Amino acid sequence: MPLIIKDEYPEKLFREDGKRLDGRDKHELRPIKMEVGVLKNADGSAYLEWGNNKIFCAVYGPRDVHPHYLAKPDKGILRVFYRMATFSVFDRKRPAPGRREKEISMVLGDCLEPLLFLELYPGNSFEVFINVMDADGGTRCACVTAAALALADAGVPMRSLVTAVAVGKIDGELVTDLSGIEDKAGDADLPCAITWFNEEISLLQFDGSMDLKEFDEVLTLAKNALIKIHEIQLNTLKNKYIAIQEEYSGGENKK
Amino acid sequence: MMNTKRVISTIEKNYILNNLRKEERIDGRGLWEYRDWTVKPDVITSAEGSADVTLGDTRIITGLKYDVGTPFPDLPEEGVCTFMAELLPLASPIFERGPPSEQSIELARVVDRGIRHADCVQTKKLCIKANKAVYILFVDLYVINYSGNLIDVGGISSLTTLISSHIPEGKWVDDQIEWTGKYLTGETIVNELPIVTTYGKIGDVIFLDPTLPEELVCDGKISISVTEDKIVSIQKSGLATFSLEEINMLTKKSMEMGKKLRKELNLWQYKVKI
Repeated sequence: MPLIIKDEYPEKLFREDGKRLDGRDKHELRPIKMEVGVLKNADGSAYLEWGNNKIFCAVYGPRDVHPHYLAKPDKGILRVFYRMATFSVFDRKRPAPGRREKEISMVLGDCLEPLLFLELYPGNSFEVFINVMDADGGTRCACVTAAALALADAGVPMRSLVTAVAVGKIDGELVTDLSGIEDKAGDADLPCAITWFNEEISLLQFDGSMDLKEFDEVLTLAKNALIKIHEIQLNTLKNKYIAIQEEYSGGENKK
Repeated sequence: MMNTKRVISTIEKNYILNNLRKEERIDGRGLWEYRDWTVKPDVITSAEGSADVTLGDTRIITGLKYDVGTPFPDLPEEGVCTFMAELLPLASPIFERGPPSEQSIELARVVDRGIRHADCVQTKKLCIKANKAVYILFVDLYVINYSGNLIDVGGISSLTTLISSHIPEGKWVDDQIEWTGKYLTGETIVNELPIVTTYGKIGDVIFLDPTLPEELVCDGKISISVTEDKIVSIQKSGLATFSLEEINMLTKKSMEMGKKLRKELNLWQYKVKI
Protein backbone atom coordinates (compact mmCIF):
# COMPACT_ATOMS: atom_id res chain seq x y z
CA MET A 1 0.00 0.00 0.00
CA PRO A 2 1.61 3.29 -1.01
CA LEU A 3 1.87 5.68 1.91
CA ILE A 4 3.34 8.51 -0.12
CA ILE A 5 1.27 10.25 -2.74
CA LYS A 6 4.06 11.64 -4.90
CA ASP A 7 6.82 9.35 -6.08
CA GLU A 8 9.41 11.27 -4.03
CA TYR A 9 12.93 10.13 -3.26
CA PRO A 10 14.22 10.20 0.30
CA GLU A 11 17.34 12.30 1.00
CA LYS A 12 19.19 9.49 2.70
CA LEU A 13 19.16 5.83 1.74
CA PHE A 14 20.63 4.63 5.03
CA ARG A 15 18.94 4.79 8.39
CA GLU A 16 20.56 6.15 11.56
CA ASP A 17 21.57 2.63 12.63
CA GLY A 18 23.49 2.10 9.38
CA LYS A 19 20.92 -0.24 7.85
CA ARG A 20 19.13 0.36 4.57
CA LEU A 21 15.64 1.85 4.42
CA ASP A 22 14.00 -1.58 4.32
CA GLY A 23 16.07 -2.73 7.31
CA ARG A 24 18.63 -4.75 5.36
CA ASP A 25 22.40 -4.83 5.88
CA LYS A 26 24.54 -3.62 3.00
CA HIS A 27 24.98 -7.02 1.43
CA GLU A 28 21.79 -8.70 2.50
CA LEU A 29 19.43 -9.98 -0.18
CA ARG A 30 15.69 -9.41 -0.08
CA PRO A 31 13.59 -12.52 0.68
CA ILE A 32 13.39 -14.73 -2.42
CA LYS A 33 10.68 -17.30 -3.07
CA MET A 34 10.74 -19.51 -6.15
CA GLU A 35 8.27 -22.04 -7.51
CA VAL A 36 8.26 -24.07 -10.70
CA GLY A 37 5.41 -25.67 -12.64
CA VAL A 38 2.86 -23.07 -11.52
CA LEU A 39 1.15 -22.65 -14.91
CA LYS A 40 -0.57 -25.78 -16.16
CA ASN A 41 -0.92 -24.81 -19.82
CA ALA A 42 2.73 -23.96 -20.42
CA ASP A 43 5.50 -26.47 -21.21
CA GLY A 44 7.46 -25.05 -18.30
CA SER A 45 6.84 -22.23 -15.87
CA ALA A 46 8.17 -20.45 -12.84
CA TYR A 47 6.91 -17.96 -10.29
CA LEU A 48 9.38 -15.74 -8.49
CA GLU A 49 8.85 -13.41 -5.57
CA TRP A 50 11.94 -11.32 -4.91
CA GLY A 51 11.17 -8.70 -2.30
CA ASN A 52 8.11 -7.00 -3.73
CA ASN A 53 8.79 -8.21 -7.27
CA LYS A 54 6.27 -10.77 -8.43
CA ILE A 55 7.04 -12.46 -11.71
CA PHE A 56 5.41 -15.19 -13.78
CA CYS A 57 7.36 -16.88 -16.53
CA ALA A 58 6.17 -19.44 -19.07
CA VAL A 59 8.11 -21.37 -21.70
CA TYR A 60 6.68 -22.93 -24.85
CA GLY A 61 8.77 -25.04 -27.14
CA PRO A 62 10.24 -26.46 -29.15
CA ARG A 63 7.38 -25.51 -31.47
CA ASP A 64 6.78 -24.12 -34.95
CA VAL A 65 7.97 -20.63 -35.63
CA HIS A 66 5.23 -18.13 -36.21
CA PRO A 67 5.56 -16.01 -38.38
CA HIS A 68 7.33 -18.60 -40.47
CA TYR A 69 9.94 -16.33 -42.10
CA LEU A 70 11.70 -15.94 -38.73
CA ALA A 71 12.66 -19.64 -38.74
CA LYS A 72 16.32 -20.45 -39.31
CA PRO A 73 17.25 -23.57 -41.30
CA ASP A 74 20.41 -24.29 -39.30
CA LYS A 75 19.26 -23.65 -35.72
CA GLY A 76 16.32 -22.97 -33.48
CA ILE A 77 15.44 -19.50 -32.28
CA LEU A 78 14.80 -18.18 -28.79
CA ARG A 79 12.29 -15.39 -28.37
CA VAL A 80 11.82 -13.62 -25.06
CA PHE A 81 8.91 -11.31 -24.28
CA TYR A 82 9.27 -9.21 -21.14
CA ARG A 83 6.07 -7.36 -20.22
CA MET A 84 4.97 -5.41 -17.19
CA ALA A 85 1.42 -5.28 -15.86
CA THR A 86 -0.17 -1.83 -15.94
CA PHE A 87 -0.49 -1.85 -12.14
CA SER A 88 3.02 -3.10 -11.39
CA VAL A 89 4.53 0.39 -11.14
CA PHE A 90 3.78 3.67 -9.34
CA ASP A 91 2.14 5.46 -12.29
CA ARG A 92 -0.08 3.23 -14.39
CA LYS A 93 1.91 1.87 -17.33
CA ARG A 94 0.27 1.99 -20.73
CA PRO A 95 -0.93 -1.47 -21.77
CA ALA A 96 1.01 -1.58 -25.07
CA PRO A 97 4.67 -2.66 -24.80
CA GLY A 98 7.02 0.29 -24.65
CA ARG A 99 10.61 0.84 -25.76
CA ARG A 100 11.98 -0.19 -22.36
CA GLU A 101 10.16 -3.52 -22.44
CA LYS A 102 11.35 -4.29 -25.95
CA GLU A 103 14.95 -3.51 -25.07
CA ILE A 104 14.86 -5.62 -21.92
CA SER A 105 13.28 -8.50 -23.89
CA MET A 106 16.25 -8.39 -26.24
CA VAL A 107 18.81 -8.17 -23.44
CA LEU A 108 17.19 -11.12 -21.66
CA GLY A 109 17.14 -13.14 -24.88
CA ASP A 110 20.85 -12.51 -25.42
CA CYS A 111 21.54 -13.51 -21.83
CA LEU A 112 19.62 -16.80 -22.02
CA GLU A 113 20.61 -17.97 -25.50
CA PRO A 114 24.16 -19.16 -24.61
CA LEU A 115 22.56 -21.70 -22.26
CA LEU A 116 20.63 -23.56 -24.93
CA PHE A 117 21.63 -26.06 -27.60
CA LEU A 118 19.68 -24.26 -30.31
CA GLU A 119 21.67 -25.95 -33.08
CA LEU A 120 19.73 -29.14 -32.20
CA TYR A 121 16.39 -27.54 -33.12
CA PRO A 122 16.58 -26.18 -36.68
CA GLY A 123 13.34 -24.57 -37.80
CA ASN A 124 11.88 -24.50 -34.29
CA SER A 125 11.42 -21.86 -31.65
CA PHE A 126 11.45 -21.56 -27.91
CA GLU A 127 9.31 -18.77 -26.59
CA VAL A 128 9.71 -17.33 -23.11
CA PHE A 129 6.93 -15.10 -21.83
CA ILE A 130 7.75 -13.12 -18.70
CA ASN A 131 5.12 -11.01 -16.97
CA VAL A 132 6.04 -8.71 -14.13
CA MET A 133 2.91 -8.36 -12.00
CA ASP A 134 4.52 -6.25 -9.27
CA ALA A 135 7.81 -4.37 -9.65
CA ASP A 136 10.22 -3.02 -7.07
CA GLY A 137 13.68 -2.69 -8.61
CA GLY A 138 15.84 -5.32 -10.23
CA THR A 139 13.08 -6.82 -12.34
CA ARG A 140 15.36 -7.73 -15.23
CA CYS A 141 17.60 -9.72 -12.88
CA ALA A 142 14.63 -11.42 -11.32
CA CYS A 143 13.31 -12.19 -14.82
CA VAL A 144 16.57 -13.87 -15.91
CA THR A 145 16.54 -15.97 -12.75
CA ALA A 146 12.90 -16.95 -13.28
CA ALA A 147 13.34 -17.62 -17.01
CA ALA A 148 16.23 -20.01 -16.34
CA LEU A 149 14.02 -21.92 -13.92
CA ALA A 150 11.11 -22.05 -16.37
CA LEU A 151 13.37 -23.32 -19.18
CA ALA A 152 14.71 -26.04 -16.89
CA ASP A 153 11.16 -26.88 -15.81
CA ALA A 154 10.16 -27.25 -19.47
CA GLY A 155 12.89 -29.87 -19.86
CA VAL A 156 14.77 -27.82 -22.42
CA PRO A 157 18.39 -29.12 -22.64
CA MET A 158 20.60 -26.49 -21.01
CA ARG A 159 24.31 -26.12 -20.37
CA SER A 160 23.56 -24.79 -16.89
CA LEU A 161 21.33 -22.31 -15.12
CA VAL A 162 21.91 -18.60 -15.21
CA THR A 163 21.45 -16.32 -12.21
CA ALA A 164 21.26 -12.54 -12.07
CA VAL A 165 21.43 -9.87 -9.41
CA ALA A 166 21.79 -6.10 -9.32
CA VAL A 167 24.58 -4.53 -7.32
CA GLY A 168 25.31 -0.83 -7.05
CA LYS A 169 26.25 2.19 -5.07
CA ILE A 170 23.94 4.20 -2.83
CA ASP A 171 25.03 7.22 -0.79
CA GLY A 172 28.65 6.36 -1.68
CA GLU A 173 28.50 2.80 -0.33
CA LEU A 174 28.51 -0.40 -2.35
CA VAL A 175 25.43 -2.54 -1.79
CA THR A 176 23.91 -5.79 -3.09
CA ASP A 177 20.40 -6.23 -4.51
CA LEU A 178 19.03 -2.71 -5.00
CA SER A 179 15.38 -2.08 -4.24
CA GLY A 180 13.21 0.16 -6.43
CA ILE A 181 13.89 3.32 -4.45
CA GLU A 182 17.64 2.61 -4.18
CA ASP A 183 17.74 2.07 -7.91
CA LYS A 184 16.10 5.43 -8.63
CA ALA A 185 17.79 7.54 -5.95
CA GLY A 186 21.16 5.74 -5.80
CA ASP A 187 24.44 6.58 -7.50
CA ALA A 188 25.00 3.47 -9.61
CA ASP A 189 23.19 0.32 -10.66
CA LEU A 190 24.82 -2.73 -12.19
CA PRO A 191 22.62 -5.68 -13.15
CA CYS A 192 24.69 -8.71 -14.04
CA ALA A 193 24.16 -12.43 -14.66
CA ILE A 194 26.49 -15.42 -14.56
CA THR A 195 26.08 -18.53 -16.67
CA TRP A 196 27.31 -21.31 -14.41
CA PHE A 197 28.68 -23.70 -17.08
CA ASN A 198 31.59 -21.34 -17.72
CA GLU A 199 31.13 -18.94 -14.77
CA GLU A 200 31.16 -16.02 -17.15
CA ILE A 201 29.04 -12.92 -17.30
CA SER A 202 26.18 -13.12 -19.77
CA LEU A 203 24.19 -9.99 -18.85
CA LEU A 204 25.84 -6.73 -17.94
CA GLN A 205 24.45 -3.25 -17.87
CA PHE A 206 25.71 -0.30 -15.90
CA ASP A 207 24.28 3.12 -15.16
CA GLY A 208 25.85 5.63 -12.82
CA SER A 209 29.43 6.36 -11.90
CA MET A 210 32.08 4.36 -10.07
CA ASP A 211 35.88 4.43 -9.95
CA LEU A 212 37.98 1.45 -11.02
CA LYS A 213 38.59 0.18 -7.49
CA GLU A 214 34.90 0.20 -6.66
CA PHE A 215 34.08 -1.52 -9.91
CA ASP A 216 36.50 -4.32 -9.11
CA GLU A 217 34.93 -4.79 -5.71
CA VAL A 218 31.34 -4.61 -6.88
CA LEU A 219 31.68 -7.54 -9.28
CA THR A 220 33.01 -9.72 -6.45
CA LEU A 221 30.00 -8.67 -4.38
CA ALA A 222 27.74 -9.68 -7.23
CA LYS A 223 29.35 -13.09 -7.52
CA ASN A 224 28.97 -13.77 -3.78
CA ALA A 225 25.27 -12.93 -3.97
CA LEU A 226 24.79 -14.96 -7.16
CA ILE A 227 26.19 -18.10 -5.53
CA LYS A 228 23.49 -17.85 -2.85
CA ILE A 229 20.67 -17.28 -5.35
CA HIS A 230 21.89 -20.13 -7.57
CA GLU A 231 21.63 -22.41 -4.56
CA ILE A 232 17.94 -21.43 -4.13
CA GLN A 233 17.33 -22.04 -7.84
CA LEU A 234 18.84 -25.51 -7.70
CA ASN A 235 16.89 -26.39 -4.56
CA THR A 236 13.64 -25.22 -6.15
CA LEU A 237 14.17 -27.52 -9.11
CA LYS A 238 15.27 -30.43 -6.93
CA ASN A 239 12.29 -30.00 -4.61
CA LYS A 240 9.91 -30.40 -7.54
CA TYR A 241 11.31 -33.86 -8.27
CA ILE A 242 11.61 -34.77 -4.58
CA ALA A 243 7.90 -33.96 -4.22
CA ILE A 244 7.05 -36.17 -7.22
CA GLN A 245 9.28 -38.96 -5.88
CA GLU A 246 7.65 -38.78 -2.45
CA GLU A 247 4.21 -38.84 -3.97
CA TYR A 248 4.94 -42.09 -5.78
CA SER A 249 7.15 -43.85 -3.20
CA GLY A 250 4.73 -42.76 -0.46
CA GLY A 251 1.98 -44.59 -2.32
CA GLU A 252 4.10 -47.76 -2.55
CA ASN A 253 5.01 -47.74 1.11
CA LYS A 254 1.36 -47.60 2.08
CA LYS A 255 0.74 -50.83 0.17
CA MET B 1 1.44 -29.87 -19.87
CA MET B 2 -2.16 -29.98 -20.90
CA ASN B 3 -2.44 -30.40 -24.62
CA THR B 4 -4.45 -27.33 -25.43
CA LYS B 5 -5.76 -27.07 -28.93
CA ARG B 6 -8.35 -24.95 -30.59
CA VAL B 7 -10.30 -27.96 -31.80
CA ILE B 8 -11.36 -31.09 -30.00
CA SER B 9 -11.90 -34.55 -31.51
CA THR B 10 -15.42 -35.75 -32.34
CA ILE B 11 -14.96 -38.65 -29.93
CA GLU B 12 -14.16 -36.31 -27.05
CA LYS B 13 -17.02 -34.02 -28.04
CA ASN B 14 -19.45 -36.96 -28.00
CA TYR B 15 -18.03 -38.13 -24.69
CA ILE B 16 -18.61 -34.71 -23.13
CA LEU B 17 -22.09 -34.46 -24.64
CA ASN B 18 -23.16 -37.99 -23.65
CA ASN B 19 -22.05 -37.30 -20.08
CA LEU B 20 -23.95 -34.02 -20.04
CA ARG B 21 -27.13 -35.78 -21.25
CA LYS B 22 -26.83 -37.98 -18.17
CA GLU B 23 -26.44 -34.78 -16.12
CA GLU B 24 -22.80 -35.61 -15.48
CA ARG B 25 -19.65 -33.62 -16.20
CA ILE B 26 -16.26 -34.97 -17.24
CA ASP B 27 -14.77 -33.56 -14.00
CA GLY B 28 -17.48 -35.13 -11.83
CA ARG B 29 -19.52 -32.00 -11.14
CA GLY B 30 -23.26 -31.66 -11.42
CA LEU B 31 -24.78 -29.42 -14.11
CA TRP B 32 -25.25 -26.47 -11.74
CA GLU B 33 -22.06 -26.62 -9.71
CA TYR B 34 -19.04 -24.33 -9.78
CA ARG B 35 -15.48 -25.57 -9.52
CA ASP B 36 -13.69 -24.49 -6.31
CA TRP B 37 -13.12 -20.78 -5.79
CA THR B 38 -10.12 -19.20 -4.06
CA VAL B 39 -9.97 -15.45 -3.54
CA LYS B 40 -6.88 -13.57 -2.34
CA PRO B 41 -7.23 -9.78 -1.94
CA ASP B 42 -4.53 -7.09 -2.04
CA VAL B 43 -1.75 -9.20 -3.54
CA ILE B 44 0.05 -6.46 -5.51
CA THR B 45 2.01 -3.90 -3.47
CA SER B 46 2.21 -1.30 -6.25
CA ALA B 47 -1.52 -1.35 -7.01
CA GLU B 48 -4.19 0.59 -5.11
CA GLY B 49 -6.28 -2.56 -4.92
CA SER B 50 -5.82 -6.05 -6.31
CA ALA B 51 -7.04 -9.62 -6.28
CA ASP B 52 -5.83 -13.06 -7.25
CA VAL B 53 -8.86 -15.23 -7.99
CA THR B 54 -8.92 -18.84 -9.15
CA LEU B 55 -11.81 -21.02 -10.23
CA GLY B 56 -10.52 -24.54 -10.74
CA ASP B 57 -7.41 -23.97 -12.85
CA THR B 58 -8.53 -20.63 -14.30
CA ARG B 59 -6.64 -17.80 -12.66
CA ILE B 60 -6.91 -14.03 -13.05
CA ILE B 61 -4.86 -11.35 -11.29
CA THR B 62 -6.52 -7.95 -11.29
CA GLY B 63 -5.08 -4.63 -10.17
CA LEU B 64 -6.41 -1.12 -9.78
CA LYS B 65 -4.53 2.09 -10.55
CA TYR B 66 -5.98 5.57 -10.37
CA ASP B 67 -5.37 8.86 -12.10
CA VAL B 68 -6.91 12.29 -11.67
CA GLY B 69 -8.46 13.79 -14.78
CA THR B 70 -11.22 16.09 -15.97
CA PRO B 71 -14.74 14.62 -15.99
CA PHE B 72 -16.87 14.12 -19.09
CA PRO B 73 -18.80 17.37 -19.87
CA ASP B 74 -22.20 15.63 -19.58
CA LEU B 75 -21.32 14.04 -16.20
CA PRO B 76 -19.37 16.83 -14.44
CA GLU B 77 -19.69 15.31 -10.95
CA GLU B 78 -18.87 11.72 -11.74
CA GLY B 79 -15.61 9.83 -11.74
CA VAL B 80 -14.77 7.18 -14.31
CA CYS B 81 -14.07 3.46 -13.91
CA THR B 82 -12.59 1.60 -16.87
CA PHE B 83 -11.86 -2.08 -17.40
CA MET B 84 -9.20 -3.74 -19.52
CA ALA B 85 -8.39 -7.41 -19.91
CA GLU B 86 -5.30 -9.05 -21.27
CA LEU B 87 -5.11 -12.72 -22.23
CA LEU B 88 -1.43 -13.33 -21.55
CA PRO B 89 0.33 -15.84 -23.82
CA LEU B 90 1.55 -17.55 -20.67
CA ALA B 91 -2.04 -18.45 -19.79
CA SER B 92 -2.49 -20.74 -22.78
CA PRO B 93 -0.74 -21.67 -26.04
CA ILE B 94 -3.84 -20.51 -27.92
CA PHE B 95 -3.40 -16.92 -26.73
CA GLU B 96 -1.15 -14.84 -28.93
CA ARG B 97 0.67 -11.68 -28.04
CA GLY B 98 -0.16 -8.44 -29.80
CA PRO B 99 -3.10 -6.05 -29.77
CA PRO B 100 -6.18 -7.11 -27.73
CA SER B 101 -8.10 -10.00 -29.26
CA GLU B 102 -11.90 -10.15 -29.62
CA GLN B 103 -12.02 -12.53 -26.66
CA SER B 104 -10.12 -10.19 -24.34
CA ILE B 105 -12.25 -7.22 -25.36
CA GLU B 106 -15.42 -9.23 -24.75
CA LEU B 107 -14.16 -10.25 -21.30
CA ALA B 108 -13.42 -6.65 -20.29
CA ARG B 109 -16.68 -5.33 -21.73
CA VAL B 110 -18.96 -7.96 -20.20
CA VAL B 111 -17.35 -7.46 -16.77
CA ASP B 112 -17.60 -3.68 -17.26
CA ARG B 113 -21.27 -3.76 -18.23
CA GLY B 114 -22.20 -5.98 -15.30
CA ILE B 115 -20.56 -3.59 -12.88
CA ARG B 116 -21.64 -0.34 -14.61
CA HIS B 117 -25.36 -1.10 -14.80
CA ALA B 118 -25.57 -2.46 -11.27
CA ASP B 119 -24.78 0.86 -9.58
CA CYS B 120 -21.76 -0.93 -8.13
CA VAL B 121 -19.10 1.79 -8.33
CA GLN B 122 -20.31 5.04 -6.74
CA THR B 123 -18.95 7.37 -9.41
CA LYS B 124 -20.25 10.44 -7.55
CA LYS B 125 -17.91 9.57 -4.65
CA LEU B 126 -15.02 9.69 -7.11
CA CYS B 127 -15.45 13.42 -7.70
CA ILE B 128 -12.87 15.79 -6.20
CA LYS B 129 -14.26 19.02 -7.75
CA ALA B 130 -17.14 19.19 -10.22
CA ASN B 131 -16.07 20.06 -13.78
CA LYS B 132 -12.41 20.14 -12.70
CA ALA B 133 -11.06 16.96 -11.18
CA VAL B 134 -12.35 13.43 -10.77
CA TYR B 135 -10.72 10.08 -10.15
CA ILE B 136 -10.28 7.79 -13.11
CA LEU B 137 -10.00 4.17 -12.00
CA PHE B 138 -8.29 1.59 -14.18
CA VAL B 139 -9.20 -1.98 -13.34
CA ASP B 140 -6.90 -4.22 -15.37
CA LEU B 141 -7.42 -7.98 -15.58
CA TYR B 142 -4.54 -10.28 -16.43
CA VAL B 143 -5.38 -13.89 -17.26
CA ILE B 144 -2.59 -16.02 -15.77
CA ASN B 145 -4.02 -19.45 -16.54
CA TYR B 146 -6.88 -20.26 -18.90
CA SER B 147 -9.08 -23.22 -18.16
CA GLY B 148 -12.50 -21.93 -19.20
CA ASN B 149 -15.06 -19.44 -17.88
CA LEU B 150 -12.95 -16.28 -17.76
CA ILE B 151 -15.97 -14.02 -17.39
CA ASP B 152 -17.14 -15.28 -13.97
CA VAL B 153 -13.60 -15.19 -12.61
CA GLY B 154 -13.11 -11.71 -14.09
CA GLY B 155 -16.29 -10.52 -12.37
CA ILE B 156 -15.33 -11.80 -8.91
CA SER B 157 -11.76 -10.63 -9.42
CA SER B 158 -12.88 -7.09 -10.32
CA LEU B 159 -15.27 -6.89 -7.38
CA THR B 160 -12.61 -8.07 -4.93
CA THR B 161 -10.18 -5.52 -6.38
CA LEU B 162 -12.69 -2.69 -5.96
CA ILE B 163 -13.62 -3.79 -2.44
CA SER B 164 -9.97 -4.06 -1.37
CA SER B 165 -9.08 -0.69 -2.95
CA HIS B 166 -7.49 2.20 -1.07
CA ILE B 167 -7.08 5.42 -3.06
CA PRO B 168 -5.43 8.53 -1.58
CA GLU B 169 -8.11 11.11 -0.76
CA GLY B 170 -7.76 14.54 -2.37
CA LYS B 171 -9.43 17.86 -1.57
CA TRP B 172 -9.81 20.83 -3.89
CA VAL B 173 -8.01 23.77 -2.27
CA ASP B 174 -7.03 26.98 -4.10
CA ASP B 175 -7.62 25.56 -7.55
CA GLN B 176 -5.47 22.50 -6.98
CA ILE B 177 -5.59 19.14 -5.29
CA GLU B 178 -4.34 18.77 -1.76
CA TRP B 179 -3.86 15.24 -0.46
CA THR B 180 -5.43 14.76 2.95
CA GLY B 181 -3.31 11.73 3.90
CA LYS B 182 -6.51 9.71 4.27
CA TYR B 183 -7.81 7.04 1.90
CA LEU B 184 -10.99 6.41 -0.03
CA THR B 185 -11.60 2.72 0.53
CA GLY B 186 -13.69 0.10 -1.20
CA GLU B 187 -16.31 0.48 1.50
CA THR B 188 -17.07 4.02 0.25
CA ILE B 189 -16.69 3.34 -3.45
CA VAL B 190 -18.59 0.06 -3.83
CA ASN B 191 -22.35 -0.20 -3.34
CA GLU B 192 -24.02 -3.20 -5.00
CA LEU B 193 -22.26 -6.49 -5.70
CA PRO B 194 -23.25 -7.71 -9.16
CA ILE B 195 -22.48 -11.38 -9.74
CA VAL B 196 -22.00 -12.67 -13.26
CA THR B 197 -22.70 -16.33 -13.98
CA THR B 198 -21.89 -18.05 -17.26
CA TYR B 199 -23.69 -21.05 -18.76
CA GLY B 200 -22.60 -23.18 -21.67
CA LYS B 201 -24.93 -24.89 -24.13
CA ILE B 202 -24.20 -28.05 -26.09
CA GLY B 203 -27.06 -29.45 -28.15
CA ASP B 204 -30.02 -29.01 -25.83
CA VAL B 205 -28.08 -29.30 -22.58
CA ILE B 206 -27.30 -26.20 -20.52
CA PHE B 207 -24.80 -26.19 -17.67
CA LEU B 208 -22.99 -23.78 -15.34
CA ASP B 209 -19.28 -22.85 -15.41
CA PRO B 210 -17.91 -24.44 -18.61
CA THR B 211 -14.34 -25.75 -18.38
CA LEU B 212 -11.89 -25.38 -21.25
CA PRO B 213 -12.81 -28.61 -23.10
CA GLU B 214 -16.49 -27.82 -22.61
CA GLU B 215 -15.92 -24.30 -23.92
CA LEU B 216 -14.14 -25.67 -26.98
CA VAL B 217 -17.01 -28.02 -27.90
CA CYS B 218 -19.98 -25.94 -26.76
CA ASP B 219 -22.24 -24.26 -29.29
CA GLY B 220 -22.47 -21.09 -27.28
CA LYS B 221 -22.50 -19.42 -23.91
CA ILE B 222 -24.63 -16.96 -22.05
CA SER B 223 -23.43 -14.70 -19.22
CA ILE B 224 -25.97 -13.08 -16.92
CA SER B 225 -25.12 -10.42 -14.33
CA VAL B 226 -27.49 -9.96 -11.42
CA THR B 227 -27.66 -7.81 -8.33
CA GLU B 228 -29.63 -8.94 -5.30
CA ASP B 229 -33.00 -8.30 -6.97
CA LYS B 230 -32.37 -7.27 -10.60
CA ILE B 231 -30.87 -8.51 -13.82
CA VAL B 232 -28.36 -5.94 -15.02
CA SER B 233 -26.56 -7.33 -18.04
CA ILE B 234 -26.68 -10.30 -20.40
CA GLN B 235 -24.28 -11.42 -23.08
CA LYS B 236 -24.98 -14.30 -25.41
CA SER B 237 -21.93 -15.41 -27.29
CA GLY B 238 -21.22 -18.22 -29.70
CA LEU B 239 -23.53 -19.81 -32.24
CA ALA B 240 -26.02 -21.40 -29.87
CA THR B 241 -29.62 -20.22 -29.86
CA PHE B 242 -31.70 -20.18 -26.70
CA SER B 243 -35.46 -20.64 -26.43
CA LEU B 244 -37.57 -18.18 -24.42
CA GLU B 245 -38.18 -20.84 -21.75
CA GLU B 246 -34.45 -21.47 -21.46
CA ILE B 247 -33.71 -17.76 -21.02
CA ASN B 248 -36.38 -17.49 -18.33
CA MET B 249 -35.02 -20.55 -16.58
CA LEU B 250 -31.47 -19.15 -16.72
CA THR B 251 -32.37 -15.72 -15.37
CA LYS B 252 -34.02 -17.42 -12.39
CA LYS B 253 -31.01 -19.69 -11.99
CA SER B 254 -28.68 -16.66 -12.10
CA MET B 255 -30.54 -14.94 -9.25
CA GLU B 256 -30.21 -18.15 -7.26
CA MET B 257 -26.50 -18.60 -8.09
CA GLY B 258 -25.84 -14.91 -7.41
CA LYS B 259 -27.35 -15.18 -3.95
CA LYS B 260 -25.41 -18.36 -3.26
CA LEU B 261 -22.04 -16.99 -4.44
CA ARG B 262 -22.49 -13.69 -2.61
CA LYS B 263 -23.01 -15.65 0.61
CA GLU B 264 -20.30 -18.24 -0.06
CA LEU B 265 -17.52 -15.88 -1.06
CA ASN B 266 -18.53 -13.10 1.37
CA LEU B 267 -16.51 -10.52 -0.60
CA TRP B 268 -17.08 -7.73 1.92
CA GLN B 269 -14.62 -9.44 4.28
CA TYR B 270 -11.83 -8.20 1.98
CA LYS B 271 -12.38 -4.48 2.59
CA VAL B 272 -9.26 -2.78 3.93
CA LYS B 273 -9.16 -1.01 7.24
CA ILE B 274 -6.98 2.09 7.35
